[in-house]
Amino acid sequence: MEQKKLIELRNIVKSFDGQLVLKGVSLDICENEFVTLLGPSGCGKTTLLRILGGFLDADEGSVTFDGKVINEVPPYQRELNTVFQKYALFPHLNVYENIAFGLKLKKMSHDVIDQKVMKMLKLIGLEGFESKNTTLLSGGQQQRVAIARALVNEPKVLLLDEPLAALDLKLRKEMQYELKRIQEEVGITFIFVTHDQEEALTMSDKIVVMNEGEILQVDAPQDIYNKPNCRFVANFIGESNIFPGVMLEDYHLRFDDHDFDCGCFGFKKNEPVDVLIRPEQIEIVKKEDGKLTGEVLSSLFKGVHHEIMVETVPGTRVTVQMQLIRNQDVASEDGNEMISANNFYVDIEDVEHMDDREIIALSNAQAWNPHTDEFISIAHVEYDLRAEEGIYPVVFSTGNGTRVERRIHVVNQPVVRNERANEAVMAFNFVRSVDEIMESQALDTDLRTWAGAQGWKLSDEETSVELYVDYDFEPDEVKEGVYPVTFETTGHEFKVYTTTHHEEGQEVGLFFPPEAIHVMPHTEY
Amino acid sequence: MKRFSKLTIPYIAWAALMLLLPMLLIAVYSFTDQGNSIIPFTFTLDNYVKFFTDPDFLLILWRSILIALKTTVLCLLLGYPIAYFIARCEEKTQNLLILCITFPMWINMLVRTYAWIGLLSEGGLVQRVLSLLGLADGELLYTEGAVLLGMVYNFLPFMILQIQTSLSKMDYALLDASADLGASPRQTFRLVTLPLSLPGVVNGITLVFLPAVSSFFIPKMLGGGQYFLIGNMIENQFITVGEWNFGSAIAIIMAVIMMCLMMLVRRIEARNEGGKGERP
Amino acid sequence: MRQKKRPVGKFMMAASICFFYLPILYIVIFSFNESKSLTNFTGFSLRWYLHMLESHGMMSALYTTFSVAILATLISTVVGTLAAIGISSSRKIIRDLMEQVNNLPIMNPEIVTAIGLMLLFITFQVERGYTTMLLAHIAFCIPYVMLSVTPKIRTLDPNLADAAMDLGASPFQALTKVVVPQIMPGIISGALIAFTMSIDDFIISYFVTGQGVKNISILVYTMSKRVNPSINALSTLIILIITLVMVLVNVLPLIAKKRERRDELTPRRMVVPAAATLCAVVAIVALLSSRQTDTGLPYAGQTLHIYNWGEYTGENILSDFEEETGATVVMENFDSNEQMYIKVANGESYDILVPSDYMIQRLIEEGFLQKLDDSLLDCWDKLDENCLDLSYDPGNEYSVPYFWGTVGIVYDTTVVDYEDLEAEGFNIFLDEKYKGDIYLYDSERDSFMMALKALGYSMNTEDEDEIQEAYEWLVQCVQTMEPEIVTDEIIDNMAQGRKALGLVYSGDAAYIMAENEDMGFYLPESGTNLWTDAMVIPANAQNVELAHVFINYVCDYDGAYDNSSYVGYTSPNAEVMADLSGEGGDYEGINAYLPRTDNENDEVFVYNENTKKTLANLWSKVKIEASNAN
Repeated sequence: MEQKKLIELRNIVKSFDGQLVLKGVSLDICENEFVTLLGPSGCGKTTLLRILGGFLDADEGSVTFDGKVINEVPPYQRELNTVFQKYALFPHLNVYENIAFGLKLKKMSHDVIDQKVMKMLKLIGLEGFESKNTTLLSGGQQQRVAIARALVNEPKVLLLDEPLAALDLKLRKEMQYELKRIQEEVGITFIFVTHDQEEALTMSDKIVVMNEGEILQVDAPQDIYNKPNCRFVANFIGESNIFPGVMLEDYHLRFDDHDFDCGCFGFKKNEPVDVLIRPEQIEIVKKEDGKLTGEVLSSLFKGVHHEIMVETVPGTRVTVQMQLIRNQDVASEDGNEMISANNFYVDIEDVEHMDDREIIALSNAQAWNPHTDEFISIAHVEYDLRAEEGIYPVVFSTGNGTRVERRIHVVNQPVVRNERANEAVMAFNFVRSVDEIMESQALDTDLRTWAGAQGWKLSDEETSVELYVDYDFEPDEVKEGVYPVTFETTGHEFKVYTTTHHEEGQEVGLFFPPEAIHVMPHTEY
Repeated sequence: MKRFSKLTIPYIAWAALMLLLPMLLIAVYSFTDQGNSIIPFTFTLDNYVKFFTDPDFLLILWRSILIALKTTVLCLLLGYPIAYFIARCEEKTQNLLILCITFPMWINMLVRTYAWIGLLSEGGLVQRVLSLLGLADGELLYTEGAVLLGMVYNFLPFMILQIQTSLSKMDYALLDASADLGASPRQTFRLVTLPLSLPGVVNGITLVFLPAVSSFFIPKMLGGGQYFLIGNMIENQFITVGEWNFGSAIAIIMAVIMMCLMMLVRRIEARNEGGKGERP
Repeated sequence: MRQKKRPVGKFMMAASICFFYLPILYIVIFSFNESKSLTNFTGFSLRWYLHMLESHGMMSALYTTFSVAILATLISTVVGTLAAIGISSSRKIIRDLMEQVNNLPIMNPEIVTAIGLMLLFITFQVERGYTTMLLAHIAFCIPYVMLSVTPKIRTLDPNLADAAMDLGASPFQALTKVVVPQIMPGIISGALIAFTMSIDDFIISYFVTGQGVKNISILVYTMSKRVNPSINALSTLIILIITLVMVLVNVLPLIAKKRERRDELTPRRMVVPAAATLCAVVAIVALLSSRQTDTGLPYAGQTLHIYNWGEYTGENILSDFEEETGATVVMENFDSNEQMYIKVANGESYDILVPSDYMIQRLIEEGFLQKLDDSLLDCWDKLDENCLDLSYDPGNEYSVPYFWGTVGIVYDTTVVDYEDLEAEGFNIFLDEKYKGDIYLYDSERDSFMMALKALGYSMNTEDEDEIQEAYEWLVQCVQTMEPEIVTDEIIDNMAQGRKALGLVYSGDAAYIMAENEDMGFYLPESGTNLWTDAMVIPANAQNVELAHVFINYVCDYDGAYDNSSYVGYTSPNAEVMADLSGEGGDYEGINAYLPRTDNENDEVFVYNENTKKTLANLWSKVKIEASNAN
């Protein structure tokens, strides 16, 4: 369907205080279209709309409306009307006066105005509200008045600046249909700004995805969803599984150490790409039928479907021993001070970084007054550490001489490396008192700290990897003894929507047809 | 927060003593005729009768209100465009300009008024410039014009600040909306900006009119002894004549009239606000 | 938003800035003027600054203003904040009620609040002075603080304080550590408003002060009638202080912000330097205004409270007296006998008053004075006998003359025909030939004297018809002659020849004629008022002995000479009078200086309570008529 071009934006550039907000945007908009400008906040979509409305002047570029350049035309002479973000209803005018505002300016006769306003009120379903104070209307009603106020002027284009953002979810859904209905009824171009992808998909004829002052993709909703042209668009719209891969040749690519057929072509040989597979396009099959195999990590019931996470590449893990001991608080002679500390483990490589503060932290050395529970600072730490494996004594004491002796184990802790997942993790055995486990407010975090657990990327040691903690004791009822604690990373996970439930831990196969694989040029983050 | 309510008790006592009781005392004095003592208390309306039966007193009251009105109108006419100008500047400039306007207010009002004596008197700068321009012949000081000038000078900043506050609080989207609906800047001003700045205008009017009616040092310093306003009358009764009962009655009369006028203004404002008006 | 050039707006803005700053600029420039003129800049000089620094009254006014402002700001900020927090957590009915009460000083004309507080202090017999001024300032500042704090409290999460207490804070800690920091911006702007209100206040201070305590406003108000460029110097000093404070408040945080690159400005940072500066200023002024007392002198450490007319003492007499005796002199000024009477009658205590004849008579009759102790006085034989033993105080049991003289017409010899004066006497004030060219003196006594004498009656008449006739005479004058009714500004204005005719005290006339040789002084043959201002000691005086010493000092040649030569009024000291009017004296050839003693129509004022009241009321009606005639 070839439509007449109504608005042509050419190379629009705009900056505020030296910051480039629009970096040369060009866009065509046709008659009777419902166009959505979609993007995260700060992407320039509202700026673009305001340039269209005439509230801002573009630094460069031209705005053509109906064949005429309108850069210099002030807003009140443009044949566009706007529905503002927070409606901008005139608080000193009632509903009727608000809607009639534009008509009165055009010096129309009273009965014509009356007629048109009534028609509008009917269109938006607010008959009988004409003398209501606008500030007393509900959000949805204000919204409708704002639309009516704009539409009554019979503009060729209606600009809507995040008009639904202030409404609650249910009302927003309602208004989405309402807006679409109104657009179809009046048959003019709507340019709609939103950051809500679902809203955009529901209502638009055409979606313009923007980010950082640039247009990334302009397409119909289905195409935007199924054929996003980059990782950003894919991520922004809908749920997605995106992995780095390599295009071996047309219709063939490789990711997760497997080769796949796909419907894509036109890339260079061995070009790195981003691979997108939407969760609903993956099927869970028997292990042997799958193109990929993995373990079900979690299954969430979402009403229409189950959202299942399947791990195809396992994570990396390390298990350490946690030794729990009885409390060994030492009291001073006069009984006015208590002091406590733990033995702890240190890696050989870290010995040289040790200082008093670090040692106090690692041993959790504390001193306090048992009568008032006030803390007393640890005044002295005496130790003699060498970068050799072994056990070294350390003495903590307060200013009053209350002291406690503990041991530092210097060990050569092996690193667990996982080349396939490009990860490494490491952790130390540790010693704690039972009370510390019981009193811990955030045990996972404390366990990570006590064990000095770390995870990182092999390719880049600066990038840390999040570790999950697993243990097999009841923190509330723990007793003295030795317990294993595991720290692990997550592997490659696929999000899959299925209609059937799958047990956690089950080994399954994943199947997806070649058409389900969408390949995009690789973008670095 | 409830447990802080006992903080109120000492203040209630203080306010009763220092704010409420003085007003009651004025009222009591105004209804007695026992010289400058209220014990024993004998009720009389004489002081009020005396005021309302003398056309000269009524004329003074009327003239006080009139000059206060003139001051208010002048302040509004001058203050609105200035406030509008400031409100449309960028925020940094706005703050600077507001500082420029508030700065003189920190300097004693009488000191600044005193300066006008020198400027307006014969041979003074203003007088000389104006007569060079042929705008003024002879004396400027000790005329109604001088009093008016002194009042505008002292009270204009209040008007500017109030209007500027209400203008800069206004949502700029409303101006965009108005332009979007086809209103030229002039129409936008008339149909949107002006009605929405009315609360500020009303506050400004209150802050100018109130002190202008009761002012007595500006007329005395710039108007001379033959320029007598209601404030001077009250001062005269208390400081020179020593008839506190009559003075109190005048004060009560003035306070009541002011309250009525202010309520009237507020009502006009309320009618204009909120779009509660019926369909035309 | 489209930025446009806005020429009209810019012009108005610039014009208004000029308008606002013109007087300030004028003050600063003329504070350096060499001459006394308020209109011509004749050369650069610092004499008015010296004058100011030497003036006890100015420095103490400065001190009073700033110390009251700081104290009132501090107290009202703390109390107002606490009260606002308390009221916000009270029941609605209390909230509404307190809002109404707080609105009283905000919504009422200031003069109403002022007289209310004055009546309050009088009713409870609180002696008016520094404390009452401070109390009044606190009273009207608190509502402004609350007005600015309350909205901040309303936006506060109501659970905030509870959360703090849940975490173990005591209610006081919850208040100071959680609630107060949250509403700090409101507290600070409230404190600033309170400070501005207090430092700028005139009306309320004017009505509630006493014992000579003045802030700058009151000082300017009482001093502004005479040309006094020291006011400009004082004002320049104030402008300097305020500028300093404003710069500190506005610029320092900017510098600090730049240095620390922090976005959040702690409000403390702008308040601390400002408060510190202010305190420093007060300390400096306090130092300047306090005088060292030499303990070796007979009256060291004692204070003499004098209530005198404004501009009625010599340049050095008070400081000389202080130096000689070691006592501190506190002098308060009044504009009129009536103003003085009201204060004295209300129990304010002074050691010396300088009222006029008829007022002395009244004070004696009403028992406000004590008899002089002749054993302490050594002045009688120095004084001219023409001003002794007059009807108001036969035998001078109560009073010693301070100045004496007559009331006559000062006229511009280049404009006024001497023949008109001779022919018409006081009736020249009804001669439309001189319409718009006359000054009347704002005093019922002198105005009615003029009218009665013009009509040929006694100025002490009790005849209602005669008084009514005189009233009509005055009304005719104000309605047909467009007079300006002035007080002491007549002196400088006549000296500059602004008008052709004016009713003037002989002493002022002497000054005027000394300044401007075109001016003449005429005493109508129909008679005039022979008046005396004399020193008396009130019954409730606290330092009677020192008062006698002062009386002797004033009557002595040096004191009397200083007084008379500086003020221009005739000294009762016969030797001084002869020297000043004689060859080489300051007032050689000036007829106004020597009082007329040979006209039998001249009278001394006699106090009569009934006529006094009638005249006061009639005169205020004359002024109203004058005002309404405009």
